[in-house]
Amino acid sequence: MKYKVALFSLFIFFLSAFQLSDYFYIPKNWPEPIYDFSKNPLSKEKIELGRLLFYDPILSKNNTISCTSCHSPYSAFTHIDHALSHGIVDRIGTRNSPTLMNLAWQKSMMWDGAIHHLDMQPLAPISHPDEMGSSIDSVVDRLNSLKFYRKYFYQAYGDSLATGEKTLKAISQFMLTLISANSKYDKVKQSEECFTQQELNGYHIFQKNCNTCHKEPLFTTGDFANNGLPNDTLLNDLGRFKITRDAKDSLCFKIPTLRNIEYSYPYMHDGRFKTLSQVLMHYTSGKHLSKTLAKELEKPIVLTSNEKVDLIAFLLTLSDKEFIFNPKFQFPKELISYKTKE
Amino acid sequence: MKSLLLLIIPLLVVFRSQSKRLINLPIAFQLVLGNFSLLLNDTSNLPQTNENLNIETLKFYISKVQLYQIDSLAFEEQLSFHLIDISNPSSLKFSIKIPKNLSYNRIQFYMGIDSITNVSGVMGGDLDPIKGMYWTWQSGYINFKLEGKSKLCKTKNNLFQFHLGGYQIPNSCLQTINLEALEEHPIFIKMDIEKFIKSIDLVKLNHIMSPSAEAVKLSEYLVTCFSK
Repeated sequence: MKYKVALFSLFIFFLSAFQLSDYFYIPKNWPEPIYDFSKNPLSKEKIELGRLLFYDPILSKNNTISCTSCHSPYSAFTHIDHALSHGIVDRIGTRNSPTLMNLAWQKSMMWDGAIHHLDMQPLAPISHPDEMGSSIDSVVDRLNSLKFYRKYFYQAYGDSLATGEKTLKAISQFMLTLISANSKYDKVKQSEECFTQQELNGYHIFQKNCNTCHKEPLFTTGDFANNGLPNDTLLNDLGRFKITRDAKDSLCFKIPTLRNIEYSYPYMHDGRFKTLSQVLMHYTSGKHLSKTLAKELEKPIVLTSNEKVDLIAFLLTLSDKEFIFNPKFQFPKELISYKTKE
Repeated sequence: MKSLLLLIIPLLVVFRSQSKRLINLPIAFQLVLGNFSLLLNDTSNLPQTNENLNIETLKFYISKVQLYQIDSLAFEEQLSFHLIDISNPSSLKFSIKIPKNLSYNRIQFYMGIDSITNVSGVMGGDLDPIKGMYWTWQSGYINFKLEGKSKLCKTKNNLFQFHLGGYQIPNSCLQTINLEALEEHPIFIKMDIEKFIKSIDLVKLNHIMSPSAEAVKLSEYLVTCFSK
């Protein structure tokens, strides 16, 4: 009898484990995640709570700005048409919001790596006066005053009391599920599809010129580099230098992933380039030879117009429509019902 | 079934007797300004000095509490993080569970949060960011927060704000405090903030808000504030 009970429990365990893999998995040939899941084990209920919080402007002072205001699912979780992101009462910030994907493999957050752990990242926009203009204790008070959230906190944590820790961990859990590894490039790597000749040419050009910093399969090393962007004297953003105060980090910004680059214009930390053509133009003829320029970019990059077109064709194979249109990542309809009841 | 009981019962006996041999050791902080006992609602009775000093916020972390017997470690508290907050009098005292007949003659603790905890993600209790001791714009705990007013400060409302933090070399603000505590029960620790304030020229320096060499220097002065 005991054996039957044990076997049944094991079966249920594997069943639930199998369902969790709907939310998180390690794509084939990818490195191990950096995020320590043992400190925040994934659960369906916590992910659901995190998703509600991600889409709810309750995180902002005047209830107008949510995470999705700057991180929209249809733009690979950045937003388009804005060089610099804006927050409450149309205040404009100093940088372009980055895309959000594959965060379990990301060793630091923000363009200058100011935030060292995914759990702590939401504190920055929540507290920034030009973004959400609020504070974590204010957010937690609001959540505790709503029956709607008390229910979800109870489901997630067995306790309806919201705390800073639980709120941030839930948002992390939702963000960790945003995995993008199903683009045409990925399918080619799995031998399920083939590049066109143009895309293959582009891939070779990419491997020759871009691969050191935009390393596969994440298409970034996660390190900081100066890619030759002339300093915008109005913004005067020195990037990583602000955090480390080390001169060699001046004008260095985090190397972003190139996945879903088709959807995430405008480009660079300040959104100065609207198109990929402009980006390639920068790398071939616009590099500013400053003291901290990445050594990989010291030699000129020479590309014919055809080669540029091929390279862009390759970059478009990094688009993952399944990621962009995944209903599990989008606006939760539960939020509508509670907002209308208020 | 019988063999299972034979295994469990001795374990239960051992556990029960272990728990019998643990006792609560209270550790209590007395926050003072010179000879004056400092509790936030008593600031109206602060001795009037030339600077007309007012303390409005005083919060700091105590962590990794250890008891030593001469040079050997006798006990270390697990998950040892305590936020001492003058506006929350009950936070000035906490207890650690130690074995009953433990011998110790010194107590040691960190003022601040160690680097590993700083990068381990969000935590709860006294480490919860809602306690207002975590920098939102650049990851890291604020080890020590002192805010108040002094006529010497040429700032709006004569405010001074010292937020000392930073966990990365060379700007690590973590300090170790080691004090005598010969078998004391409870252990009383005095923290005299006047020594810290007197070591700063409030005319020239009235705020610190980020990790820096200056923050490290000031945190070193704080070590001298702790005594028995």
